[in-house]
This record gives sequence, structure tokens and C-alpha cells, in this order.
Amino acid sequence: MKVSFNELQGLSRKAFSGVGFDDGDASDAADMVVWMEAHGLNGIQSLKRSLAFILEEDQSHSPEIIYQDADLCVIDAHNRTALNNASLAIELGYAKCRARGLSVTKIRHCHNRMLIVGYLSRVARRNMSVTAFWRDSHQPLTEILVSFKADEEAPEICMYSLDDVPDDTEPNDGITLVMVNHVNLMPDFKADQTLNNLLHQDKHSMNNWQEHALAEGIEVEPEMWDRLKELATRILVESSDDSRQGAGAGTSDSD
Amino acid sequence: MSWADTLSTTDNLRPADQVMQLDRLGSMFASRLSFARSLVRKMIKERWQIGNAVFDLNDQGHGTAIYRITTPQGLYHCVIFCRELRADQRSDRVIAEAWDVTFAIVEGDVEAELLQHMADNVPLQEAGRLSSRVLVLSRANKSLRNFGQFVAALAAGEQPDPAALTAVGYLYRTTAVYGNGKFGIADFARLERNTDFNRPFSAQMLAVYVLRQFSIEQLNHLAKVQAPDTAVELAPELQRYLGIGNSTGLGMAPFLINHPQLIQQWIYGRERALACARLQPASNKCRNKLLALMRRAHRYLQQTVTEDQAQTQRNRNIVQSVQEVIDWLERTPAHPALYRELTDWADNHSSVEAQELINTLLIEMYPELVDSLDDELGCHETMDLQPDMKVRKLKELIEQNFAWALSYSEESAEDNYWFWYRSAEKEEPRLGIRAEESGVEKETALAIGPRISRCYTLLTAFVQNNPSAMVVEFLMARPKQKEIVRRIQTMAPTPYGEIRANLWHRDMKPMHLLRTKLSFFGAGRFDPKSDRWVRITLFQGAPLAVELTNPALALDQLDDWSFPLQPNRQPEKQQGKQAETE
Repeated sequence: MKVSFNELQGLSRKAFSGVGFDDGDASDAADMVVWMEAHGLNGIQSLKRSLAFILEEDQSHSPEIIYQDADLCVIDAHNRTALNNASLAIELGYAKCRARGLSVTKIRHCHNRMLIVGYLSRVARRNMSVTAFWRDSHQPLTEILVSFKADEEAPEICMYSLDDVPDDTEPNDGITLVMVNHVNLMPDFKADQTLNNLLHQDKHSMNNWQEHALAEGIEVEPEMWDRLKELATRILVESSDDSRQGAGAGTSDSD
Repeated sequence: MSWADTLSTTDNLRPADQVMQLDRLGSMFASRLSFARSLVRKMIKERWQIGNAVFDLNDQGHGTAIYRITTPQGLYHCVIFCRELRADQRSDRVIAEAWDVTFAIVEGDVEAELLQHMADNVPLQEAGRLSSRVLVLSRANKSLRNFGQFVAALAAGEQPDPAALTAVGYLYRTTAVYGNGKFGIADFARLERNTDFNRPFSAQMLAVYVLRQFSIEQLNHLAKVQAPDTAVELAPELQRYLGIGNSTGLGMAPFLINHPQLIQQWIYGRERALACARLQPASNKCRNKLLALMRRAHRYLQQTVTEDQAQTQRNRNIVQSVQEVIDWLERTPAHPALYRELTDWADNHSSVEAQELINTLLIEMYPELVDSLDDELGCHETMDLQPDMKVRKLKELIEQNFAWALSYSEESAEDNYWFWYRSAEKEEPRLGIRAEESGVEKETALAIGPRISRCYTLLTAFVQNNPSAMVVEFLMARPKQKEIVRRIQTMAPTPYGEIRANLWHRDMKPMHLLRTKLSFFGAGRFDPKSDRWVRITLFQGAPLAVELTNPALALDQLDDWSFPLQPNRQPEKQQGKQAETE
């Protein structure tokens, strides 16, 4: 079924509220999913894959700073979703970069990392260049690099697998963010490196996708839509005769 | 977000502490900047053509009608489905499931496939799914009293009593007008690039305007069907005096609270227009024009009828207050600072409603100065955190810009009397009494004042221990405050975005919230049905579709339709009856 941006944003926000996200996190998480979907980056599929985990998580826990200095911070998300654990970590990196010109933020033990890209767009529109790097799977070892130029709405994204895997590599579920205030850091494959280029998505194709989605709507599986609606009903109050009075309308329609 | 300032009058703006009080906002009238006025002005300037492409109604008036709307930029259609509505299905609540008419505005042509899809879905309203080419979805019910007597009068060759339209100014009353992506229709982001509809709510206003045209033509059709030999058409002055009703409730409130940047633009636009008008030197001609407008508004208010006792008393009060303003103007000669003197006098002698009426009429006086603001009432809404701001600075921001919110007390029963929530019935917004009703754990966070106050309390304690910390560090410690901190940081530099009231307070009047938004829509004839439910009229007095393209009618002539007066016409036998006697 086709839905609109506003509809997807609104229902996702209500669904995240229903799951237990705070208002600000629900709004941010919905924005992240919709931004990804609007740019052809499968935000809804990412959410669908992780929804079962999210429903099991205790959303009242916050990410924890385990180290920080003026330039660097390390945050532990305690194996929870990036959807409501990444925004403040990213904002902390942004604040440090504003003060120092460059910052490095490492978020450890975090899933739904791809959805972070939706929030990074907010950092970029605030005149900050940001690059995110993480490894997504171990067999084959796949790396993902996402870079926004300052003031640009869409990033360059490279996802590639490595043929030559170091012996001591272990799976990790972290993500590293590098923010710089005065120059742009953009992905540039090394000429002598053999890379299996799985995906290289540029900002133009993403912007085109957004135009298409705006004109035609966004395709969502009806089952997923129904699931979101079901979660959204958790924030609604059961109706009763008393509550109908709370709407203030009369029972007569005559005039 | 940019605060466009084409009128260099910022020094003369009224203080937010005055403007943003809820009772003052709830005393505003529609102005020439209201969205209905703005749309009609655009339609006149650009000579929009609105004509009937399909009018396939049976003898009961049921069937399909399609109107073609041609603008210099584009082509649109309004598709209207009119079906029988059982008496037990008739409700003006959002929770209704069937209506007399359902309709939608479509971008471009309506191909057979799209029409069939619309026929299957538009009548379902919230339960249907629409194409992204649909811009607006709406529905309306008849005013049975007016409808029946109007058809009967026209069928008998008589014009209906104009007083009936003064009492209830419409034949149809909408109960929801959906835009911005609802149920699969086009996002406002798409309309923002369309110069026909990039002003707030302009597409929705067009849908209501076309329904008005349909209501006239359906009425004439039914009279003709009932009595082909004697029926006459509704007289042009009554057509013009016919509006479209709207019944609405607490659903207005979440929009006002959830779009503070847009509200800032609306109020800022109106206040700039007022500031600019007040600075104009008043010649004798200007004074006389203002007096004429004031007398018309006075008569309009005298004619306004409502069953609600409190509103009736308000109307009486404002009629008296406006008469005093007229008396003052009549005895005060024109001079360059007349408007300033008038508003200063009114601040001390007139009701808040009369003060706001004066302001509306001052804005009305100077179209050449204020109409450019029509294009400045929208904005791109984004709220970003400023994480590197020092917590001390955030605390100062609250103290300087949100002091109105800090009087809230957690312990005060009065301060915490109401709570807002959404019902499982079509997500209808409702108000409950906190100490008595269930559902508090699911309340919606509409009361910005208490949220700011709570944030300030937590922030004050944090600052004591961490005076040099950044806002993001406060939020890492208090993550639940992220949303309100982002809002405080975004809205602090703007004067008019936040309504300065505690929406939980026992004395809070929800009707003020409704009227605030409705006045920007261009609503008149406020007819409350309770303290949180109101019926209003849109487009009463507006030029007819056929007049938009009449080159003999000038813009200033057609645009002068605020505070419409009951046509000076008694019910009389018309052509049909005359033909009978001849």
C-alpha cells in the first residue's frame, strides 16, 4: 500500500510512543525511519527487522558515557536500538566538534546502526561535515561508510566487502562518527585496494528517490502498516460515555 | 527558519506578553490576512475559473458532481459524491462514519480509473485510501432546517428569508477537511512547490469554497426537480450571503501547540500588518473609511445569532463596546496619530474583543501595505538542538523568554486540573479531569508551560553542580527533557510562537484555542455548542465563482466581503410565481 511522508512520520511517531519511547525520542526515531525510506535506504525494512528486539528492550534506560575528553567520547548503548539511543550521542559529538573543530564519537553495542544516517542528516544541515563508519557483518567482512558534506541533505554511501580479512578481526556492533567543522570528509576508495563494491549510492540518486516518493507515495507492506497502527493504539485512551463528554460535542446534529 | 520582514515596523510591534495571552487570542476576528480571504483574493487576481464539468444528480440530489478549477499555473478538479444519509447516521462529530456529501480536490484530470477509485474510497473518509494526486479530502452534512425550507421556497417561486442565513449561514457544514498526506493524499511538502497552494491551508480552503458553489447548484437543482414550472434560482445576493459551516472541537488545539513556528509566522504576520497600519497618518477620508467599516462590523455583530448564552452575552458586550468606539471616532477629528490614539483609548475603555476588532479593521484599511504578507505566513518547520549551549545560558533563556511558564506549581490542584488525551475513537482529542478520570498515564504533552517549568526545576539543580556544562550533558543526565529543551532553544528568539497559558489550568478556556485557529482560517459567526465545541461559517459574503472572472468587477470591489450583512430583501414571489400569475 502507498502512504504519504506525513502519514508515515505521524504513525511511526505514535508507534514509538506506544513502544515506550519518550516524546522527543519517538519524534526523532520516526524522522530517522522516514528520512531513510524517503531516500531509498529501506527505513521501514530496517525497522521491521528490528521491531521484535525493540519491543523487548527496556526503553527507560539511557545510553551511558563510558569515556569522554574534549575531542572524544565513547558511549555504551547496552545492546539497544540506535533509534532512541544514538541522538544524544551524536549531539555530544556535535558539541565537541563545535568546540574543537573535530570530534570522534564511538557508540558501542548498538543495533539498527544504518538508521543513524537519518539523524546524521540533521547534523549536516547544521553546517557540519560528518562521516560514520561501521562493520555490518563478518562473513564476508563488510564495511559501511556514510559521509555528509556540510549543509547537504543527502550523503554519499559506500558499502563494500573486504577480500583480505585480518586474522584477529572480531565482530563488533559499534559505530564510529567523525565530525569536522571546517572541511568535508568524503569517501574515496584507495586506488591500490581491492574492494568488492557492493553499493555506492550518491546524493543525486537519493534526491531523485525522494522526488519520486513525494509524487507517488511510499510503498509499505500492509502487515507492517497494521503493526505500526496496533502499536500506536497503545497511547489511546479507551472511550467511554464520560470520555465522550470530554470531547465537548453535543449529541444532536440539527441546526 | 527566517523571519521575513518586508514591513519595517518591528519597533511598533505589540509585546508578546499582551498578544499571546489565551483570552486575547480567543478574541480575534478573521482579517484580510485570514486564509479564506487570502485564497479568494488570489483567485480574483489570477481570475481562476471554477466551472461545473459533471452534474449527475438524481431527483433526490444524490449522485456525483465534478468541478473543474483552472488557474494560470494548473488544472484541478473537485469531485463530490452525494449520497443518502440515514437519520441515525447523522453526526457532526469526527467519529461519524457517513455523511451527506464527501468530496476531494484532485490535481490534474480525473480519469475513469481514478474516479472509480475515488468513488470507492472518498465516501469512506478516514477508512479509505486515496491517491497521492488527491490534495484535500473532506465531508459535510446538510443543515436540514435551512435546506428543506430553502428548497421549498425556491420551488414555490419565492426567495427564502435572508434571516434564515443569518441564523445559520450555510446549507452544508463540514466536519473535517483533511490535507497534508492524510490517508495517502499529497504531502504539504509537495504543495509547497505549487504556487497555487503553497500558502497555509489554501487547498483546504478551495475545497470548502467549491462545496459552497455545489450547495447553491444542488439547491437550485432540487427546487427545479420539485416544481419545474414554478421554481426559481437562489438570488445572487443570497448566494453571496451563503457560506459553508464547519463544526469543530478540541482537534484544533494539538495543531496550535505542535506547530509553534507556524503560529509564530501567522501572529507575526498579523502583528506586522497591524503595526504598519497603526503608523499610517489618518486623513479625514481614512477616518470615514474606518467608521464605515466599524459600523458594518457593528451591524454584523448585532445580526449574529447564537443559542449559546455565554456567547450571546459576549456578542451583546461587544456590540455595546463597538458602539462606544464608533462614538469615540465620531467625536474625534482626523489627525496623523489617530490610530495610535484610538488603540490607546480602546486599551483602557473597550473589551478585549472590541480591541481586536479595531485591530482587524485597521489591517483592513491598508491592502496595499499588508497584502504582501499573504505569502509570508508559511514556514519550513525544523527544531534542532543546540547541544553546545551552556546550561547557564539555557537557564537564562527560560527566565528571559518563558517566565510566563514558571508560575506553574506541581502542588496546585488548579494548575493540574485538566489533562489532554486522544480517544481510541478515531483518535479524537479530549479533555479529562485529572483527579477523576482514567487515562492520565496516556496523556498527550500539550501543556507546554508545565513542561518548561519542570525542565527549569531540573536544570536549576543541574546548573548548581555543573555550572560550566553543556546542554547535551544535562540531557544525557535528563534525556526526557530533550523535546522541550529543543523547543525552548528554537522558540526563544521568536516572540509569538507560544500561547502563554497553562493548558492544564482549571480556568483554561478551550474555546479560546479553537477561535484562535478559526480566526486565521477566516471563520465568522461563532456559535458555540459547548465550552469546547463550536460551529462557524466560512466564505459568507465571498464573491461567487462566476464573479471571479468578471472583468467588470475590480479586485477591491470583490475583495471587500468581511463582516457580511444580511441582504436587505424580504421574502418575495419571484419569476416563477410571476410567470404563474401572468
